[in-house]
Amino acid sequence: MVRDLPTGSALLALARDVLLNDLMPLLPPTAHLEARLVANSMAITEHEAISGAAPAQRILHELQELYGERGEGEGEEGLVRRFACDLRAGAFEEGEPRERHAHEILWRLTIVKLRNANPRFLNANGLS
Amino acid sequence: MARFFAEASDAVAVELTGLTPLRGGAIQENWAVDARFSDGAFAGEQRLVLRTAAPTGVAASLGRLEEFAVLKAAFAAGVTVPEPLWATDDPEIMGKPFFTMRRVEGTAAAHRITRDPALDPALPAIAERLGRELARIHAIRPPRADLAFLAAYEEVGPTQQIAGFRAYLDGHPTPRPVLEWGVRWLETHIPPLSDPVLCHHDFRTGNYMLDGTALTGILDWEFSGWGDPHEDIGWFCCKGWRFARLDREAGGIADRAPFYQGYQSESGRSVDPRRVFFWEVLASIRWAIIALQQSDRYMIGGRAQSRPCADRTTCDRVRIRNPDATGPGWSAEWCVIYRPDRRCSPSPATCC
Repeated sequence: MVRDLPTGSALLALARDVLLNDLMPLLPPTAHLEARLVANSMAITEHEAISGAAPAQRILHELQELYGERGEGEGEEGLVRRFACDLRAGAFEEGEPRERHAHEILWRLTIVKLRNANPRFLNANGLS
Repeated sequence: MARFFAEASDAVAVELTGLTPLRGGAIQENWAVDARFSDGAFAGEQRLVLRTAAPTGVAASLGRLEEFAVLKAAFAAGVTVPEPLWATDDPEIMGKPFFTMRRVEGTAAAHRITRDPALDPALPAIAERLGRELARIHAIRPPRADLAFLAAYEEVGPTQQIAGFRAYLDGHPTPRPVLEWGVRWLETHIPPLSDPVLCHHDFRTGNYMLDGTALTGILDWEFSGWGDPHEDIGWFCCKGWRFARLDREAGGIADRAPFYQGYQSESGRSVDPRRVFFWEVLASIRWAIIALQQSDRYMIGGRAQSRPCADRTTCDRVRIRNPDATGPGWSAEWCVIYRPDRRCSPSPATCC
């Protein structure tokens, strides 16, 4: 499908900029929190649009690697659910390499979520 | 309301001169009440706070009369709290139970407290003072006839809390591997039960008032109950409640040392860093699940349900109301996980 420029995410960024810098000063202070709610909703939507499905695909790939043949053909949610169940049962505690691998996936899962929700926090802490 | 105040204070008459909702309070409503008492012990102008349940409560919260009883016990123990005055469950007055206390001055705004450079020189002393305050709270021990409504520690200890976390995760539509990993660690590292004390259970930056650099009150006693003394210490220090200053491990305001020192001086007991670490991990999981519950309220109830709680929520989907936050409260997982290039063991080491 051919889409016109600017992209949807660029438009969101523009709209957010207008809201924060042009409209916010005109609003009464009692409405500032609400305006920021709108601005931050737009920011999260923008980050999600930019990142697309790639981060989830990477996590899925890593889980498939962790599980080897047993992970083949399983969808993202199924594998993540299985991973969660195995963690609960202590399935990766038997040896260093698998435990470390599992932990690296957990870390990346967290970073992916923060990249959408609050990239500023990642930047401020050298984790971007 | 005026008649209730008059009867409670033995005044001939009371005139209400102001009634303003106070900000904050996702689960409780707080109202600033100005009242003129004609005579008696409260003769003259009085600045009060009325506290009652908001429409969106949570099951873990005490009722208002129970919270009032805890506040009275803390006040009697010398904890710096707004003086509790009167409570009632008479539905004729405002349709639901409430209590009143004196209004204390200052701000509880955590982002202001953790960010204001003017406060920096005073923060270690404030942390030390908070340690002393916490020790006074923990001097209250069972059995107490006035607090008989609090659940026995054996019913709300770490094993029961872990079971509660898992029950929540089992009912949640999305798998949460990081939380499962954290809960598993908790399960395999439960310390022996200690003698229970009264725990505030929400003792953190954001729940105390500062007037300049003076501590004027510990607030929000609705989650109080018997617990391990290290439970409150872990909650105060956990990453989720450091706001703008992740590097300041005691509530985002100071190093742990002055906080621990104040606690130890006042209580005469040592802080055990290993126990604190366990409770800090548990605090992070508890906090993450609260964040998910806040998100659930939005997902289930829509905007109408989420609005009352949004000012103090912690999940990325709901905390959008708090755009200035640069703290770790933007992902339920962040406070639980640690960097893979650092070892994490049940030690007092910082694991971020």
